[in-house]
Amino acid sequence: MLSLYNHPTTTTTTTTTNLKSHFPSITHLRHSPTFPKPKPKTLTKSLLQWNRKPQLSGETPRVVVVTSGKGGVGKTTTTANIGLSLARLGFSVVAIDADVGLRNLDLLLGLENRVNYTVVEILNGECRLDQALVRDKRWSNFELLCISKPRSKLPIGFGGKALTWLVEALKARGDKTGGNGTGTNGSGSGSSSTGSGCPDFILIDCPAGIDAGFITAITPANEAVLITTPDITALRDADRVTGLLECDGIRDIKMIVNRVRTDMIKGEDMMSVLDVQEMLGLPLLGVIPEDSEVIRSTNRGYPLVLNKPPTLAGLAFEQAAWRLVEQDSMQAVMVEEEPKRGFFSFFGG
Amino acid sequence: MASIWTLHFHSLSVRPSCPFFIDSNSSTRRRRRHRFLITNGISTQQFKQQCITSISKFHHQLLTSISIPMPQFLTNRNIGINLPIWVCVAVVILVASLRALSKFSRKKERPGSVADLVRRGQLRSDRRGISRNLKYEDPFDNPLVKVSKSKSSVEMCGKVYRLAPVTLTQEEQAVHQRRRSRAYQWKRPTVFLKEGESVPPDVDPDTIRWIPANHPFATTSTDIGEDFAHKNVSQKHGVPFRIQAEHEALQRKLEALQNEEELNKVVINPINAKEFERPFNSHGRLNDHAEKTSLNNQVKDPLSSKLDSSPNNFGSASSSGEDQNLKL
Ligand SMILES: Nc1ncnc2c1ncn2[C@@H]1O[C@H](COP(=O)(O)OP(=O)(O)OP(=O)(O)O)[C@@H](O)[C@H]1O
Ligand SMILES: [Mg+2]
Repeated sequence: MLSLYNHPTTTTTTTTTNLKSHFPSITHLRHSPTFPKPKPKTLTKSLLQWNRKPQLSGETPRVVVVTSGKGGVGKTTTTANIGLSLARLGFSVVAIDADVGLRNLDLLLGLENRVNYTVVEILNGECRLDQALVRDKRWSNFELLCISKPRSKLPIGFGGKALTWLVEALKARGDKTGGNGTGTNGSGSGSSSTGSGCPDFILIDCPAGIDAGFITAITPANEAVLITTPDITALRDADRVTGLLECDGIRDIKMIVNRVRTDMIKGEDMMSVLDVQEMLGLPLLGVIPEDSEVIRSTNRGYPLVLNKPPTLAGLAFEQAAWRLVEQDSMQAVMVEEEPKRGFFSFFGG
Repeated sequence: MASIWTLHFHSLSVRPSCPFFIDSNSSTRRRRRHRFLITNGISTQQFKQQCITSISKFHHQLLTSISIPMPQFLTNRNIGINLPIWVCVAVVILVASLRALSKFSRKKERPGSVADLVRRGQLRSDRRGISRNLKYEDPFDNPLVKVSKSKSSVEMCGKVYRLAPVTLTQEEQAVHQRRRSRAYQWKRPTVFLKEGESVPPDVDPDTIRWIPANHPFATTSTDIGEDFAHKNVSQKHGVPFRIQAEHEALQRKLEALQNEEELNKVVINPINAKEFERPFNSHGRLNDHAEKTSLNNQVKDPLSSKLDSSPNNFGSASSSGEDQNLKL
């Protein structure tokens, strides 16, 4: 993937970023043969379709906390899907399940049988950090770290500090492989793609509420993804959590509106995404529709974004992951309406 | 006259009882002959003549059929009638199948059908398995996401949506931030104390989080020191603490046993030996593998290097272990 990425010239790269910044602004030359376009442009476009990769912006590792305030709005689902999307885009990702006692990210990822050591064991000196990281078999640059086993106890006195140390240790992992790349670690050179180096993203799945677990989870984070649903209870909690994050100095907060039903919004039975934005005043990272496939994929331990063909929610998660990489936000939201039977829609364009 | 009538009657009464396809060979033979005649360039006049003669012959045969054996009569008769019948049957079958086909394809297109769900990706038709790279790399521009030329609508998974622009400005964001900073004044607690504990002298009371005594966190006994924990987190090589402790305990036990042995000259029976091996196995399921590769040269003594592996270690400890994992 990286080798492919070398291709575009500086001009094409800039155009892609520009185009991306106001999704969905990408012109669709391939699907509109009725419009004759200059040949070279079409060529660039079609090449780009296969060679595009989001531009990683910001310092690595990007430590992102996924939080919501209210429970059950989809934090874990989002962490799993965005995490695996990022891994598929070629970034190395460490997902930390910071839900003490009620962990379920491992279940969503289908890795529950492989979690033997957690952060608690690391702190107790019963294992090393690299032994507690569970590498996904589907995408080897995705690793899961659970903070504790259901009945084990995290020393909360320094829970937040512990997470910061972990982030530091993960960061140092890159130095180690680069520094003394001896025979011990043969795969040290291709560090970032194989996941043994410093990760590009550290996603922290925050527990619900604003309790000790929340405080622990947000401690090492530089940015936050706020999950909310378009209902008034979730919104109030989301606003509060945003306030707390801002007080803690996390300024880069973007929101994902989950479980959106465009049909209900159309009938004015649900707050629209733009209404939500007006209430919270946060940039949009993504809008995830309500999708029955989410529940099915949860049950299967097989995140949505790996589905083939992708579902509506899966595509939305992929797009959100892409924006997260580029530190971008949505410039337009989808609104349901009767499709206009135009000339081009006849051709499926 | 009467004989003809009786004959007709006879033939009618016979027909239902006789199967339609008594001799398919004869009919094909006959058809072949017809074709031969036509392709040989015989004029229509001649053909007509032949037809008339054959018909008259046929008539003659009919008249004399009473004496003619039954099977031959039947065959002859069937051929004459069957040819158009077969054509009709073929046409009917063709029409019916075409109609069914068109109906089937229309059913496929009907919105809301299961086929439609599969097409839209709501239902998975393929089996669950290891995911492969998708054919596209761009979630904004692929066969399932199509943006209209005017950028006013988008087609996702076969459904067209209008695009409403986001109007949030930087100023509005700042207004919201100011509102929140007024509404929620908060300092992230850095000290967690159980209710009833005394506040340490050098701690800002604002940063204390009071945990109720019945809270699950409160039952946590922080018997490990902070510095010790920090050291453990950054530990990159070597034998983890617990395993090392167990290993040392085992060593002591073995030594004690050996001393005893020397005293008593008792041979160790295999059951006892197994018992001593158990701690090894429970903590290093990949022991064999680690032994084979023995890549872990960070560890000094060979015994502990055996121990230095764990069930979910695919990190930096051994690269071949990692490769193996990727292949799984
Ligand atoms: N877009 C969606 N469409 C349909 N169901 C969804 C969607 N998002 C989440 N869900 C469902 O909501 C439930 C809760 O999701 P999830 O566990 O991700 O929430 P959470 O915020 O992590 O919860 P908790 O606060 O308990 O950690 C799950 O059963 C999930 O299947
Ligand atoms: Mg959760």
